Amino acid sequence: MRVVGTQLALQIAILAVVFTGTGRADDVQAKIGYCKDCHGPSAQGYRGFFPIPRLAGQQPEYLENQLRAFIEHRRTNNIMFNVAHTLSPGMIAALAAQFRQLNPKPIGGAPKQLVATGKKIFEDGMPDINIAACAACHGPDATGSGQIPRLAGQLYPYVIKELTNWGKERGQNPAKPDTSAIMSPVAHSLNKSQIEAVAAFVSSLN
Amino acid sequence: MQVTPSQGRPRRIIKVGLLLALLSAILATVCAGAGRAEDTHTAAVSQRDVQAKLTYCEVCHGPSARGFVGYYPIPRLAGQQPEYLTNQLQAFVERRRVNPIMFSVGHVLSPAMIAGLAANFHDLNPKPLGGAPKELVPAGKKIFEEGIPAANVPACASCHGPEAKGNGPFPRLAGQLFDYVSNKLTNWDKERGQNPAKPDTSAIMEPIAHGLTAPQIKAVAAYLSYLE
Repeated sequence: MRVVGTQLALQIAILAVVFTGTGRADDVQAKIGYCKDCHGPSAQGYRGFFPIPRLAGQQPEYLENQLRAFIEHRRTNNIMFNVAHTLSPGMIAALAAQFRQLNPKPIGGAPKQLVATGKKIFEDGMPDINIAACAACHGPDATGSGQIPRLAGQLYPYVIKELTNWGKERGQNPAKPDTSAIMSPVAHSLNKSQIEAVAAFVSSLN
Repeated sequence: MQVTPSQGRPRRIIKVGLLLALLSAILATVCAGAGRAEDTHTAAVSQRDVQAKLTYCEVCHGPSARGFVGYYPIPRLAGQQPEYLTNQLQAFVERRRVNPIMFSVGHVLSPAMIAGLAANFHDLNPKPLGGAPKELVPAGKKIFEEGIPAANVPACASCHGPEAKGNGPFPRLAGQLFDYVSNKLTNWDKERGQNPAKPDTSAIMEPIAHGLTAPQIKAVAAYLSYLE
């Protein structure tokens, strides 16, 4: 009885170190390997049953915000909730820093004929129908900044899915509005062909 | 059958009379509409269109136009002087002030829409975004109120007002973003006054922006960013 108690105590102690600390290097590597199972060998994204987004080169502040949004069900995705709610704050920060450093080529595959239109919408917006220029916030190279995500090299079907379903997936807690509210009028005002054009353009960016 | 002049005149009078009646009816409708609008300048643009355009501006300029730090710092427009806003939009359109995004935004706006937007922005009053280093504020307050006589920099308050609320063509600075003010003062002549053949009010600030050192710019920007 005493031996079992000591073993249990030891196991609890190990778990406590792993989950409350700043994330030991090998734990972070193990976790990143796990993320890459779905998000691709260099986190370039993956077209599985669902389009799984590129995380490579992503803004750490944005990544951390999204993980928190998944955990708090402000952004609904059961798989990502399961993944995220076991992560300690230290682990989240370490993962975000690692993803930032990755820089694989974009997967590509979007219809090339849409790219020119998408570039125009991205750079100039469509002011006569109140569509803002994406570049104003996401930057001219779509690399993002701070809480604003990088879009460069993001998967074509993923961007389409997000823009089309913005209000169904994000900002799901009206009592706790978050930064997803910024994109709501933009996503709403784009029609299907504009969404596809913009998605094609950003997916082609390196 | 030929219409003789004496027979044709009554018909012409009727035709002209009908035309005048039609024109009067149209004019009356338009003027009645103008009377209902808050300001005769906005008569040609509907409130619904102005609201839609405002929502669009706020995508970049932030909720209640308080400003937003995107890839670039996007300035606060809330509480801004309408004359200054109008001047800047005109400067963007005429490329006297160079900003490709604001050119794109500005050149589709009618004068009535600009007036409607400027009036609406002026009435917004959200809290400042904040975030500047607080330790710089006292030095910034001193520069704002007293200027830097040794560098021929006048007190900002002398034109922008003691509370930095601005007046007419002089912009409100109260609550403006720290990063935005810092950038603008640092890069004044790279963005504004870009047509030497058409000098504009931006010329006033050129020697002032030039006369401030980088730490002084940051101090003033920090002070202004907290003012309500």
